[in-house]
Amino acid sequence: MREITYSEALREAIREEMLKDKNVIMIGEEIGQGYAGVFGVSKGLYDEFGPARIIDTPIAENSIMGAGIGTALMGMKPILEMMFSDFIAVCFDGVLNQAAKMKFMSADQYSLNLIVRLPGGEGAGTGPHHSQCLESLFMTIPGLKIVNPSNAYDAKGLLKTCINHGEPVLFFEHKKLYKTKSEVPVEEYTIPLGKGNIVRQGKDITLVAFSYMVSVAIAAAAELKEKYNIDVEIVDPRTLVPLDTEIIANSVKKTSRLAILEESHIRGGIGSEIGSIICQEHMDLLDCPIKKIASRNVPIPMPASLVNEIIPNKDRVVKDIKDMFMM
Amino acid sequence: MKYDEQLLLTFLEKMYLVRRFEQKVYEFAERGLVFGSTHLGIGEEATSVGTILNLNKDDYMIATHRGHGQELMKGTSVDRMMAEMIGKETGICKGRVGSMHVTDRSVNNLGAQGIIGATFPISIGVGLAIKLQNLNDRILMSFFGDGSTNQGNFYESLNFAEIWKVPVLFICVNNLYGMGTHYCKTCNIEIYKKAQFFNIESDFADGNDVVQVYEKSKKLVDMVRTQRRSALLELKTYRTSGHSAFDKHPYRSKEEIEEWKKLDPIARVEEKLKASGTSIQKIADVKKKVDGIIEQAGNFALESKYPEFDASMEQ
Repeated sequence: MREITYSEALREAIREEMLKDKNVIMIGEEIGQGYAGVFGVSKGLYDEFGPARIIDTPIAENSIMGAGIGTALMGMKPILEMMFSDFIAVCFDGVLNQAAKMKFMSADQYSLNLIVRLPGGEGAGTGPHHSQCLESLFMTIPGLKIVNPSNAYDAKGLLKTCINHGEPVLFFEHKKLYKTKSEVPVEEYTIPLGKGNIVRQGKDITLVAFSYMVSVAIAAAAELKEKYNIDVEIVDPRTLVPLDTEIIANSVKKTSRLAILEESHIRGGIGSEIGSIICQEHMDLLDCPIKKIASRNVPIPMPASLVNEIIPNKDRVVKDIKDMFMM
Repeated sequence: MKYDEQLLLTFLEKMYLVRRFEQKVYEFAERGLVFGSTHLGIGEEATSVGTILNLNKDDYMIATHRGHGQELMKGTSVDRMMAEMIGKETGICKGRVGSMHVTDRSVNNLGAQGIIGATFPISIGVGLAIKLQNLNDRILMSFFGDGSTNQGNFYESLNFAEIWKVPVLFICVNNLYGMGTHYCKTCNIEIYKKAQFFNIESDFADGNDVVQVYEKSKKLVDMVRTQRRSALLELKTYRTSGHSAFDKHPYRSKEEIEEWKKLDPIARVEEKLKASGTSIQKIADVKKKVDGIIEQAGNFALESKYPEFDASMEQ
C-alpha cells in the first residue's frame, strides 16, 4: 500500500470533503497564499478552491473562532486552524462559552459543525508558548469532542469523520508527526470517534498512549521486551472524548497492570482521568498501582537538556514500567 | 413630519407589549419564580421596536443579555418566551437557560450570549456565511450594549467587518451604564465615532424617540442590504429599571431616573398619537389587547411543567 505523511493525510481529508460539500471551508492565519499553513497542511488548497473557501485572516484568534461559530450557526462546516495549539488560549471564551454550549443552550436548535485544528506538542526547541499539549484542559468541558490521531492513517480517517460530525471538535495534531509516514489506502474511509486501537499486542501491562506518545510507547515497548522480557500492550484511544474505556478495560483484564503515557502535564492530566475510571470500575483487575507517565509540572522550556527531563521519553517510560515490575 | 397613524399605533402596541412582558417578568421575579438573574430594559423599548420593524422575516438577529424586547420583536412566541423566563419545558429553549440566553431558530434569532462582547466575532462569522452562501437579500442585525464596547472583541470585529465587507448592522443600545459604571468613566470616545475609525458608516439617534430610531435604522438597514457592508447605529437611551431585577440603584440618583422617566418612549408616542387626533379609546384598545396577550402568556408559563433531566443531555 502507498505511504503518505500525516500532513498529506490531513490535506487529503480536507480536500475530499471540500470537493463534496461547498459548505466546507478553512479559516486561519497564513493558510492560503504564501505559507499554506506553517506545517503545510493546506498546501495547494488555496490554488484549487480560492480565497472564498481557504480564508486567510489577520492575526486575531478571537475572530477566527467567532468566524467559525458564526459560519457554523449558518449551517457551514468550518475547519479552523490555530497556527499553534497554544494560541487557542486567546479565544478560550469562544471555545468554552459559545461553541461548547450552543447545542445544549439552544435546546438542540443549533449544533455547530465546527473543527478547530490544533498543532501541539514540543517540536525541538519551540519553547513555552509553542509546545503545549492542552487536551486535559478541555476534557472537562461538556460539549467538545477531543481527537488525537497518532499516525497518518488515523489522521485522515478521523478528520473526515469530524468534518461531518455536527458538533464542535478540538482536533489535536502533533508537530513531530507531520512528516511521519504510514500506509493510507487510496480509497475513502472514515474512523468513528470513540473507538480505540490496539497498536501492539502484549500480555504483561497495558500502556495507554495517544498522539506522538504512541511512537515513544512503541520504542519503549521494544526495549522492555528485549531487555526485560516485559510484554507491553499499547492501547491508543485515538479520541479522548468520547473515550473508549472498554478497550482499555478489556486490555487491563488481560494484563492486570496499567500505565498512561501523555505529553500533557501530570497534574490533572489524561492519566488522572483514565486512571480514576479504571480504579472506580475495575479496581479488582489491578495487581499494582496505576502509573501516570506525563510531563512534569513545568512550562516547556527551549533547550533539550531541560526538555528531556520534563517531557516523557523512551528512557523514562522504560524505567517507570520496569519499576512497576519491581525490576 | 406627519406620521401614518397605523405606524404610530404599531410602535405603541409593540413597545407596550415589551414593557408589559418585562413587568410580568418582574412580577414573577418578586414571586420567586425566576431562579437566576433577569435583566429588564424598562425605558429602552424604542431601541428594539424601532429597529427590528425594519427587518424582513428571514433577516438574522443576535440579541443582548438584556434582550427580551429584541427577541419578542423578532417574532418569538410570547407564550414560549414567558415560559423560558421561569424555566418551563415549553420555553423557547426548553426552559434550560432563562432570560439571558434566548435563541429561536424559527425566527432566525441566533441567540444571546451571557458573556459581554462575545457576540461581536460571532456576528462577523454570520455575516461571512451570509456572504459565502450568497444570501444576498439578507442581513444580520447585531445588538450590543455600551459596556461591551471596551472589550477587545469590539475593535477586532469592526476591523473584520470592514476588511471582509459583511452585511451586518450593529445596533448599540447605549443605556449609559454597564452594570453600575457610567460610560463616561470607561471611555472618552462616543461609540458611533469608534466605528468611523474603521471606515464603518455610523450614526446615532435619540433612543427614546421611536420615530427617530425607526427612520435612522431604516436608512442603515437599506444601506447594509444594498451595499453589502457593515454599519453601526448608536441609540442613546436609559433603563429606568435596574441592571438586574432587584437592583437598588446604588450608582445613580433618584433625580436622574425621574428625569429620564419624563422621556419615556411609550408616553412620547402616545403624545404624538393624541396630537395627531387619535382617540383615547383607540389607544386604550391597543393596550387592552396587549394586556390580554401578556395575561395569557403568564398563565401559559405558570401552567407548564418544569423540565426533567434526561441522560441524553450528557455530552
